[in-house]
Amino acid sequence: MKQRRSLWLMLVPLYVFTLVFVAGPLVYMFILSFETRAETWGVVQEFTLDNYKNIFQPVYLQTFAESFRLAITSTILITLIGYPFGYFMAKLSDAWKKRLMLLLMIPFWTNSLIRLYGWMIVFRANGVLDKLLMALGVIDTPLKLLYTYPAVVVGMVYALLQFMILAVYSSCEKLDRSLIEAARDLGASPAKAFFTVTLKLTMPGLLSGIILTFIPSMGLFFIADILGGNKIVLVGSLIQDQLLKAHNQPFAAALAVVLMLLTTLMISLYKRVTHSSELEGLL
Amino acid sequence: MKKGISLALCAALCLGLLAGCGASSQAGASGSAPAEKKGTLNLYTWEGMFPQEVLDGFTAETGYEISYSSFDTDETMLAKLEAAEGGDYDLVIADDYIIETAIAEGLVSELDKTKLENLGNVNPLYQGQFYDPEDAYTVPYGAGVMTLVYDPTLTDVEITSYADLWDPALADNIAVVDNYRVINGMALKVLGESYNVADTQVIRNAGDKLLELAPNIRLIKNDNVQDDLISGEVAAAVMYTSQVTLACLANPELEVVYPEEGVGFGIMAQFIPSQAPNKDAAYAFIDYILRPEVAKQCFEWLGYYCTNQAADDLIEEEYKSFLTLPEGFNTEMEMIENITPEAEEMHMQVWTEFKAACE
Amino acid sequence: MKRKFRFSSVYLALVLFLIYLPIVLVVVYSFNESKISSVWDGFSLKWYEELFADAALFEALWNSIVLGVASSCAAAVIGTLGAVGFTRVKTRTKGVMEYLSMLPMMTPEIILAMVFMAFFSLLGLPFGMTTLIIAHTAFCVPYIYMLVKARLVGLDPSLAEAARDLGAGEIRVFFDITLPLIAPAIASGMLLSFAMSFDDVIISLFVTGVGVNTLPIKVYTALKTGVTPEINALCTLMLAVTILLVVISGAVGRMRGGAQQTQEGKQ
Repeated sequence: MKQRRSLWLMLVPLYVFTLVFVAGPLVYMFILSFETRAETWGVVQEFTLDNYKNIFQPVYLQTFAESFRLAITSTILITLIGYPFGYFMAKLSDAWKKRLMLLLMIPFWTNSLIRLYGWMIVFRANGVLDKLLMALGVIDTPLKLLYTYPAVVVGMVYALLQFMILAVYSSCEKLDRSLIEAARDLGASPAKAFFTVTLKLTMPGLLSGIILTFIPSMGLFFIADILGGNKIVLVGSLIQDQLLKAHNQPFAAALAVVLMLLTTLMISLYKRVTHSSELEGLL
Repeated sequence: MKKGISLALCAALCLGLLAGCGASSQAGASGSAPAEKKGTLNLYTWEGMFPQEVLDGFTAETGYEISYSSFDTDETMLAKLEAAEGGDYDLVIADDYIIETAIAEGLVSELDKTKLENLGNVNPLYQGQFYDPEDAYTVPYGAGVMTLVYDPTLTDVEITSYADLWDPALADNIAVVDNYRVINGMALKVLGESYNVADTQVIRNAGDKLLELAPNIRLIKNDNVQDDLISGEVAAAVMYTSQVTLACLANPELEVVYPEEGVGFGIMAQFIPSQAPNKDAAYAFIDYILRPEVAKQCFEWLGYYCTNQAADDLIEEEYKSFLTLPEGFNTEMEMIENITPEAEEMHMQVWTEFKAACE
Repeated sequence: MKRKFRFSSVYLALVLFLIYLPIVLVVVYSFNESKISSVWDGFSLKWYEELFADAALFEALWNSIVLGVASSCAAAVIGTLGAVGFTRVKTRTKGVMEYLSMLPMMTPEIILAMVFMAFFSLLGLPFGMTTLIIAHTAFCVPYIYMLVKARLVGLDPSLAEAARDLGAGEIRVFFDITLPLIAPAIASGMLLSFAMSFDDVIISLFVTGVGVNTLPIKVYTALKTGVTPEINALCTLMLAVTILLVVISGAVGRMRGGAQQTQEGKQ
């Protein structure tokens, strides 16, 4: 009995904090999404479903499609780049692991806006990349890469890669390598051993990595604004515009509610498809 | 060994909680203390609105310390001011249209003009505008004109009007500011309408007109647009006054155009919130920066049009053309005002369509 | 075997190179004479001079550090205890709680900022560092929770069970067995949380109070008037300090003896 009580005590901070400071504001947002905007500023407490109806205008539906397209593209690329990194990193010596961990975290110590400015210098017409490629004779006119879709994808991958690496790394680190050896001894090809043993065992890390990158990438829009010249309209920037330009708080709240629902749906679908139920529901 | 690590981690966890509480109580105290202390001016505006010398000079002369808080957009400011019920801040500098809303919300206190000796220095051109027709609440601090700038070495198109931007020769070569009323307004102007038209069908038409402009747009953003013009990323740009100043200082070859259709302009103004804790400090500050020699320093730093007539003559020659309107300036000028929610919604919709069409 | 090892090193180095490329450029351009980032006007230290004259910027930096440390620590406590507790307690509310605590991650920052502000003002909390820490903790908890949970899944439960069989209480088991095993995950979660907090601007803008500026607020709110390379200079300095700290701690660690270090690493 005493043991159970101390176990429950561990959960108290999470329960209290989440219920007060997370559920509270979000309930407020949910209510807000059914209210009506005031003439110039603020909201009036008049129940309406118009905010949700408004979302079905083609131009706004389009922003959801764009957001998913970008989030999925970035998540796939991040997985392809980040998984091997985390996997290789877990094989290093302890000293190198620590060094690499720090090397991965240090970039976060600089302002993300400023780091994006760094990429702008790379991509700019006649910038670093153009000069390099021209010197190598690959191209002879500037590429004009800045303010294009690929530039945005690079920015997204750059901003979120570390999340994937860390998640995969912490999973690979506790991987029992004797299992892989056993599979190889039993005649499995390296590829087969990887897919049947390694990948399966590191699935929890991969999954949390994907969630840690996919979810934020649905909401990240300032990268698209800065590196894409604001030409890709994502739900996040639409919400920002609605709040800070059109002063339409209820519509912004409705957009956010729908975005959250869709994100939840995507993740549960992903879990269904990958049969990762043994994770006993991350989310 | 295990024990050592777990002890260390445990200590870290506890320290974390303590640090959290300690920091919060300490900061909570320091957060509210300046407001009660008599000698602090809580200034709330964008970052970088004043040169450090001016702020220091004010403190040295009047003894009021300056606590500078900054916001990113006018809307953030109004939301915060509303949450603070018109308190917390002593002096706010923001854009015209939001001040109209703030006044309507009862968040602005009426000015006691007897406390402002230098009020006469304000350029009357920037007074009596829509947001404060009687000049009862605000004192202007800088004005901006939506200007078109282009690099004649990068394009053969000779740009004299907004309509010229639609020229197919400028494909993928134009930068515009991320301000839906300004850019939609540009299309409205080309169609011969007012910025503040309320008819949603007219706004729709302007939106259709904008879709034709989309192929020419290379980027839409607010910050550092001048960089893209200077580096040759784009040949033409519609941008804010301070950016024009920076761009022209860096590249004198650039052509500044006051479009034939008429230009939009905006005014930044200072106001004192209704429950400002230290109004005297605010009056002292407004009066201080109204001095011609201080205003000169401010505007040369800021790069917006000088709203202080007495300072006009003091401004250095190299800045003069950017900070004062040209002699004999007679293009039609119109301000962007608040409009009905329906019109606003239509603006937002055509703006979103326009942005998506640019990709 | 040897060849494979070489490939992985090359791969790690290449990715790290790309991660550091923009940062190196930020550093280089902090020495740029021109205010405009697209033009190189020659070498200059003038931005460093301006930086050191700017006391407000250092105050903002300090605020950011306090905020980052406080909220990542608070989130570490809440997230770790929660993740561990849920492995042992079976309750129907578990799924709901997990989902709820993840929601701040799914909500676009700007809307979260807006509702946090409205909610704090509803509760009557004064805006300032307290509200900043609460808001930042809210979006940091999911990162810690996820990473700790991923580590806990598949962790050998027999160790903890053995200890329990030998009569150790839950608290004892937590500190002696579980905590050391999940320490790496907590550490990386905290580093991530600190980074997220250190970089957050939108939420901070809305929940901060009079005169409490953080570094990102200073950078972001300068956009209207133009970001100057002063910020590049500050980033460069912060990088230099971080690297210095890393080198020092590495040297101290080595002095204390490599044997101990490897033992620690194994656990």
